[in-house]
Amino acid sequence: AQIGPPGIELQPTNGDIKIKVSPPEANQGKKMWVNDLSFKYNLVFWENSSNAQPRSKNIFPVDTIDDLAPDTTYCFKVQANLPVEGKEGLFSPVSCVKTTQKAVNDLLCAANLRVLGLNMEFHLHWENQYKQPVSYNVQYLIGYLKRLNEDYSGKWVGVPGCGNTSGTWCNVSCVITTTGFYYLRVQARAGHNKSCLSSEVKVDPLKMNEIGPPGVKLDISDTLLHIQISPPGGPEGEVMRNNYVLSYRILYWKNSSNDEEGAKVKETKQTVATIPDLAPETLYCVKVQALSEAYNKSSVYSQEECIQTPGEKAFPLIILATFLVALVAVLLVALPLVFVLYQAYSKIKYVFFPACQPPLNIEGFGGQLCPSPYLSAPEEPIENCSIIESMITYEGNQIDFKDYKHSKQSSRDSGNYSNDDNASGSKGSAETLEKQII
Amino acid sequence: IMNAFGLIQTGFILLCTTIICSHQCNHLLLQQRKVIESSLRLLDKMGKNFPQQCLREKMSFRFPKQVLRPREKETVRVAIEEIFQHIFYIFSKNLTLAAWDGTALDQFQNGLYQQIEQLEECVIKKRTHYCWSKEVSRLKLKKYFQKIDCFLKDKQHNLCSWEISRAEMRRCLQLIDKVTRKL
Repeated sequence: AQIGPPGIELQPTNGDIKIKVSPPEANQGKKMWVNDLSFKYNLVFWENSSNAQPRSKNIFPVDTIDDLAPDTTYCFKVQANLPVEGKEGLFSPVSCVKTTQKAVNDLLCAANLRVLGLNMEFHLHWENQYKQPVSYNVQYLIGYLKRLNEDYSGKWVGVPGCGNTSGTWCNVSCVITTTGFYYLRVQARAGHNKSCLSSEVKVDPLKMNEIGPPGVKLDISDTLLHIQISPPGGPEGEVMRNNYVLSYRILYWKNSSNDEEGAKVKETKQTVATIPDLAPETLYCVKVQALSEAYNKSSVYSQEECIQTPGEKAFPLIILATFLVALVAVLLVALPLVFVLYQAYSKIKYVFFPACQPPLNIEGFGGQLCPSPYLSAPEEPIENCSIIESMITYEGNQIDFKDYKHSKQSSRDSGNYSNDDNASGSKGSAETLEKQII
Repeated sequence: IMNAFGLIQTGFILLCTTIICSHQCNHLLLQQRKVIESSLRLLDKMGKNFPQQCLREKMSFRFPKQVLRPREKETVRVAIEEIFQHIFYIFSKNLTLAAWDGTALDQFQNGLYQQIEQLEECVIKKRTHYCWSKEVSRLKLKKYFQKIDCFLKDKQHNLCSWEISRAEMRRCLQLIDKVTRKL
């Protein structure tokens, strides 16, 4: 299907020409090209004289053509394209108009607008050559409004903090985000109601922004160099870093001959890096830059930081010596301490928890102190001693002897008779038993 | 003749697949992912939770998922750009009754618009046509967005129709987010 011709309206203003394009099928109920915001308009215009070269320009539905000669007739025609599909539409009918004279307020207008951005902080700078005092008002327009088919001239908004300034620059960061385009312009005001709007400047934040240098910190351990990179933009720069997907290029070299000869490169996506195998007792210098591969941007290099690598042999010896000293110190302190503690322990144990008990003949001694109770003494065998007084003479010796024997026996063991008796008794019983068995 | 035609077609397709590989358009791919992330965030930010009273009017629009099935990476990327264009168009007018946060909405549209603009620049520079226009699933995509547009018009862009559309766009962007992470 073919894209039909758009409509075109021209309005000369102050030496420029304001154009309003209406999309093809603008007033139709049923449309072939429903999304009329997807068109991109190509304007072709030329001076209405012979030998005029036509100029071609991509314009928004509502746009202004400046850079035209005053009091001259220009002719215009426009076509609607769908570039993504490679489709070009039919041209509108040609329309011609004459430009007016430009008002003589030129010197009052702010000129040479430029935006400088560092770590997403944007400053707008301009110039002015008006001799009398001027107050400026910076205004911005959100980019997408130009794509709509409506007139956006009423949609410019003042930038907070940039109204009524007398300087020639202003910080516009508060209105600029990482997504989308913005347009900025400056309105200059002098006494007696004179005012002038400058031309616009388009801001593509991530493309225009400069990435600042990162910070560098060095640390050394043995033959390893540790590099700590602090990302540009600080804590507020997180959004910026996220959008750029930053990586870092580290440059390091030996500073022996004051030359940057043999500078080596290391690339990393992290904010810490380690460089191994360094020569001992050498001064190494490092500088780092931040890169965004996707946007083909790089920051300036950071400040140079230098550090000296330690000597080779000294180091292990130092460690050994330190170790030995520490060992000796520990022994010197620990052993007496252990000894003292042991002595104290044994004394305390001796006094409060004695191992041996006090002797029994010390009555009541330590009866409370000794926790172990006295054991009840076992019954000692008591001898029943009876003294038989017998006269021992030579005459009745034998009898006496017998008696003595008897007494002896009895003295010895009174139970002897009983034993005998028992024995006889037992014999008797045994006999009776035998009798019973038989 | 048929052989010659076949050769031309193959050549054409090969031409088509190199569109976004140019150095100048490098950041476009990274930016696409970032735009999707921020768009999701802003869609949430611009309004409150889905109002209960609108549940009755919910409609199923059936997003054509085959559009995002990657036969070729480039085709999917171009499909995503077209989806951005459609969403940009839907959210460009008759938003009064939605009563959303103006700043969030502005940023949302601005992000989509920047992405569309940059892709067009790349295309114009390279002067090659997209094979995407030949894709069958492209018509299904157009139908899907037309359905949403008609739904909004029928309901006279009232609050519920906007909230339902916003929820639908959120679902759509989440699908795209999943696909771009795999690319």
